[in-house]
Amino acid sequence: MKPPSSKLEHRQNEQTAEARQTQAQAAGREFASPEEMLRFDAARTEVPETVKARLADSLEKEPPSEARASWWRRLFL
Amino acid sequence: MAVERESSARPAPPALAPEFAALYEAHGRQIFYLCLRLLSDPGKAEDATHDVFLKAWRKLDQFRGEASWLTWLYRIAINHCRNLQQNWAERHIQPAADDSLLHSTAADTDSPLRVLELKELGERIQRTLDTLSPEYRLLLLLVADAHLSYEQVGQLTDQTTDAVRGKLHRARRAFALEFPKTA
Repeated sequence: MKPPSSKLEHRQNEQTAEARQTQAQAAGREFASPEEMLRFDAARTEVPETVKARLADSLEKEPPSEARASWWRRLFL
Repeated sequence: MAVERESSARPAPPALAPEFAALYEAHGRQIFYLCLRLLSDPGKAEDATHDVFLKAWRKLDQFRGEASWLTWLYRIAINHCRNLQQNWAERHIQPAADDSLLHSTAADTDSPLRVLELKELGERIQRTLDTLSPEYRLLLLLVADAHLSYEQVGQLTDQTTDAVRGKLHRARRAFALEFPKTA
């Protein structure tokens, strides 16, 4: 005999599956303007992690610059 | 034990200076998205984003603080993408977008743009943008960034705020006409 918690778990799983299906069906949406659509698209676009790593690598090879350092300090510190 | 410690003591990968890392975290996505949609190629967009921030680093002493960091980065990105596109265009013949067709075609731009499959949205947006003139494409992408005012968009595209408004209206109409065709 199954314990009551297992029954509950089964029902919860069913509900989750139903919710997922409903979500998928309602996945379509409307955008009031092209800008709104682009904003939505931009927000879900991830920058590949490799860019940051490559950038860090490239900057390490850059010669140090005192002018740059002083600007940096003036702006941020 | 000593051997184990030695083998695990690999040099740490280079990290961005904290201030520059903050700049990258704040605006990396906006720059990548602009490059992605202007260049229509994720690989080229990755390279371009790297190059834009590298240029920014090299030109840091030229930043006067008159513009915001974002508009300054956008300007570098726009120029960088333009150069890449120009080099590409010199090697390929590209048909110019015929905007006159848009003027003669009525389009209901007040109707919402409907999308059923969100997973295809990026691809459809790209195909739509690719049919627009470079000027309309850039205008729409910049105006879509809520952090930029029309005035800043005008500065970035070298035109008045009124000109931005007028062209934006036509750019929206062009987009609204083309987007349904990508379904």
